[in-house]
Amino acid sequence: MTSSFLRRMPLVVVAGLFVLAPLAVFVGSAQASSYGQTTRKNSGTPNSTTVVKNSKGVVVKYGNKYITYSEPQSKLIKLGQALYSENCASCHGVQANGVPASGVHGAFPNLVGLGPATIDFWIDSGRMPDKDTTAVEAPRRQPALTPTQGEAISAWVNSLDPSYPYIPTVNLKNANVANGMALFALNCAACHTIEGDGDALAFATFAPSLRHIPAFQVAEAIRTGPANMPRFTGNLSDQQVDDIVKYVTTEIQHPQNIGGFGLGGLGPVAEGFVALLIGVGFLALICYWIGDRS
Amino acid sequence: MSDAEHRTPVSLQGLPQDDPHLQPAAKNPETVQGVIAVLFVLGILGVAAFGAAYWVNAKPWIIGATMGIGLFFLGIGLVAWGKYLMPRGPFVEERHTLANNEADRDAFAAAIVERGGGVVKRRKLLAGLLGGGLGIFGIVAIFPLLRSLGPLPKGTLFHTDWRKGSYAVDSSGRRISQGELTVGSILTIYPEGKQNTDRGQAVDQTVLIRISNENFTTQKGRESWGPKGYVAYSKVCTHLGCPVGLYEQELQLLVCPCHQSMFNVTNGAIPQFGPAPRPLPQLPIYIDADGFIRAQDDYNQPVGPGFWERTNV
Amino acid sequence: MTDVAIPTNKRAQQRAEGPYGKVGKMLGELDDRLGVAKGGRTFMDKIFPDHWSFMLGEIALYSFVILLVTGVFLTLYFVPSSATVIYHGPYKPLDGQRVTEAFASTVNLSFSVRGGLLMRQMHHWAADIFIGSMIVHMARIFFTGAFRKPRELNWTIGVTLLIMAILNGFLGYSLPDDLVSGTGIRIAYSILESIPLAGSYLAFWVFGGNFPGTAVIPRFFIIHCLIIPLVIMGLVGAHLFLLVRQKHTQFPGKDRTEKNVVGSPMYPVFMAKTTGFLFIVGGVTALLGAFAQINPIWQFGPYTASRISYAVQPDWYMGWLDGALRIFPSWEFTGWGHTIPFEVLIPAVIFPGIAFNLAYVWPLLERKFTGDNEIHHLLDRPRNRPKRTAAGVTTLTFMAMLFIASSTDVLANFFHVSLNTVLIVMRVLVIAIPAISYPLTWKICKELQGVDDAGKRKTHNIVVRTAEGEYVAMPSPAYGEDVGHELDPTPIPTYIEPEPEEVRESGVRTVER
Repeated sequence: MTSSFLRRMPLVVVAGLFVLAPLAVFVGSAQASSYGQTTRKNSGTPNSTTVVKNSKGVVVKYGNKYITYSEPQSKLIKLGQALYSENCASCHGVQANGVPASGVHGAFPNLVGLGPATIDFWIDSGRMPDKDTTAVEAPRRQPALTPTQGEAISAWVNSLDPSYPYIPTVNLKNANVANGMALFALNCAACHTIEGDGDALAFATFAPSLRHIPAFQVAEAIRTGPANMPRFTGNLSDQQVDDIVKYVTTEIQHPQNIGGFGLGGLGPVAEGFVALLIGVGFLALICYWIGDRS
Repeated sequence: MSDAEHRTPVSLQGLPQDDPHLQPAAKNPETVQGVIAVLFVLGILGVAAFGAAYWVNAKPWIIGATMGIGLFFLGIGLVAWGKYLMPRGPFVEERHTLANNEADRDAFAAAIVERGGGVVKRRKLLAGLLGGGLGIFGIVAIFPLLRSLGPLPKGTLFHTDWRKGSYAVDSSGRRISQGELTVGSILTIYPEGKQNTDRGQAVDQTVLIRISNENFTTQKGRESWGPKGYVAYSKVCTHLGCPVGLYEQELQLLVCPCHQSMFNVTNGAIPQFGPAPRPLPQLPIYIDADGFIRAQDDYNQPVGPGFWERTNV
Repeated sequence: MTDVAIPTNKRAQQRAEGPYGKVGKMLGELDDRLGVAKGGRTFMDKIFPDHWSFMLGEIALYSFVILLVTGVFLTLYFVPSSATVIYHGPYKPLDGQRVTEAFASTVNLSFSVRGGLLMRQMHHWAADIFIGSMIVHMARIFFTGAFRKPRELNWTIGVTLLIMAILNGFLGYSLPDDLVSGTGIRIAYSILESIPLAGSYLAFWVFGGNFPGTAVIPRFFIIHCLIIPLVIMGLVGAHLFLLVRQKHTQFPGKDRTEKNVVGSPMYPVFMAKTTGFLFIVGGVTALLGAFAQINPIWQFGPYTASRISYAVQPDWYMGWLDGALRIFPSWEFTGWGHTIPFEVLIPAVIFPGIAFNLAYVWPLLERKFTGDNEIHHLLDRPRNRPKRTAAGVTTLTFMAMLFIASSTDVLANFFHVSLNTVLIVMRVLVIAIPAISYPLTWKICKELQGVDDAGKRKTHNIVVRTAEGEYVAMPSPAYGEDVGHELDPTPIPTYIEPEPEEVRESGVRTVER
């Protein structure tokens, strides 16, 4: 019996109650999209120790011993343009400026100037291309495009208006997991929960679970702040991001459950059900055996 | 040595030895005895393994499993012994009335009312004085005891450590300069020097959010409070004091992780949903000549949840 | 029974010891000093009814025993101090972090002390089971009317025990000073602060200053480990004393009247069963402690007032309060220079006050409304008291809905719907479901009353072909355990004085009583 089944079983019972709910209106959906996407342009390379430029003087790689940010390969730009018009242009517009063929400004996000890491994250985590554009948030899915295709699209979008951050590669060897834990508790746990399981936030928005996210995507998300997630740029150094990624990819994704089964990381809710059903329930059955039934 | 000294066991009265009430409940007691013996052996193995596991400092689950199995089987065996092999009964017992007869009750009441009560009634002054003394002792004992448990609140609930010109620092004590945050970023800040104190963590904690690149006005009268799009709100929820550290940048909401109160950061953190009754107080800030973010003043109202002395601001 | 042909030396020994050997002699010595023979025998002969539901309270009793034993173990290693130390130990993600001694010692207890983690987990599981079984036991008492005269006092003691247990559970949960429990203490502080007039003073006195204060952990420790356990022990003693004094209730049935008790004797039958059950409760708790991880504080990290995790909930028995706080509207009164935070005061102070006081006075209320001032030892079937049963079900569903409301975020995440929607729905359901459940329960009770053998197991019909070739259906005999005891109850056989005359003539001295 998996732990996720254990914690969901009682909830299925609760599901029945919602059928009775006279107020099953989705308050959230309408209001959620009323705020526009804020304009943002990433600042440059604040704490880089190495900056590699190509022959034309364009930065292709920067970073330090904690994280290296690389520009998507320029040879992929052509492929990226083709993939873009096939998969993305219908919403984000052929110029990637968020103006679709219908011509309505602001209907979809402008991608120009977001930086390759942003584009790469949305495609590589399977959120884009989106399947249901009416939903408040695009959920994480099995990626429709390969990593190379994602890099190609980000290469093309970036060629329109080169910006930072580039796609990060995290060097976990130099990370300090204890610093990561402290930073995670201060900056991340408020949404993703201290065990990294994610949860429902305001209206119909959700903080995703961090259980199966590859290291570079964690770094991309921290640096670019996808959707409702805040962005951490100047307020976290590359070393600190490296520490957090290390904590997430080790202790969050492989927690030290030395006390037995982890009960899905849901804490007291799951524990309460186990105590009542397995503890009290089982012992009551023993009572039923010990005593008379007449 | 005379037989007169010798006592024999007294005999069983009421039921013959072969009475069905005294027989085991099990139809085939020998088989049941065998089963129970097996259970006990399992229990013995369990507790012995528990001892061994503890001795060698095995993993916690091994210690627990052996102890659990040992106790469980010993318990099942013992219950089965009682349920199947001991006299099946049923037996009956008379239930005696708890109440005594009228005479006994009257005697009891008379003793209390007449004997004792009479004495007190005759010496009302003494009784009053004694009662007064004990009462005063009680009050005296309670009051300083309670009082000495902690300080009086005095004004401490009304102020934080933010002062005119306080530098905003992060949890490591680093001053925050205006280039630090991009739009959509959030940072927990403290007045400089208080970031590692209990009071700094609990009372002074403030969230700094950048919601725009331009000066931002959340409410009328707060025109200078949002320089370069930076706004600062108390991180202490007005509902029950949890840290409101959950910022959703597209919805422009601060959400309290405890009871999901939602505060709109664009209009002065007016609660939009949930149980919080009041907006989060906004900290007036400015950017000094060196580009550092500093407080214009303390909050203009007490931070955190409501309490009786809190005046309506 | 008597064996006269005993060797001289053994005879001498036996003469010295009496016919019951060493045990008899020891009991004799005891009786010389305390006079326990008569009372002790009466106690051994005491009859306990065998119905299974009468053992639910024993789950609570024995989990309390486990709490005491494991709790003593924990106090040997736990350091109740909020002083800051730098953690260095086997759990690397905390290495070098500033934590309180309370937190550090709890992590060390879990990682480095032999059997420490097991004891911690058993203690926590036993606490969850303790309170859970108390509520189940309370429900049994309520629905069967076992609280009626003469047992109102014991009901009162029971309600007090429940309050004490919940309070102590909260205090114990707070002791490790981890991120999740620290948030709970913060909420408790704000609840104290919300009380009109005295609130801020009370909060300052309990916490020794403004939040977080430094006094909480040591104070909570001594209350959790000494004061409340003593109170609980005393009340449990009184609870059991009254049970013995007033004798157990029983369900109506064959040969059972208001004037007797039918069941098994204390010794040896009941004692074997109940001692075995103690081991079983211990075994189940140990197995839970071994395999189901509870409250992994090392994953939560230390509490500091500006850290927070989403989805923090209190232990399940506090969930109804958390749910009430979540769904209550934001009604705050401000005026005349004062603030009354009703959004906290009503769900967290007034409502639990009403709930527990209602539980206290229920026996009096029921006596007043029914005018029934008789002494009852036979229990009600819940269906025969539809109003009481409906009231109980309504209360339980109300509490259950509040408990569910404390996990609105979990529900929203699971069903992938808007959190706000879930909260609004819960506001409605908390009122609607209990409101529906009262008439529904009442109706079901009324319907059940009309069915004679409702609740009994049906037996197979046997179709028999008669000699004439006719087929006849007839019910097979009832299941053995459904017909109850086929024997009439008999008084417990007792060892009394031997037949007087002829034995005396043989020179045997009779036992003085």
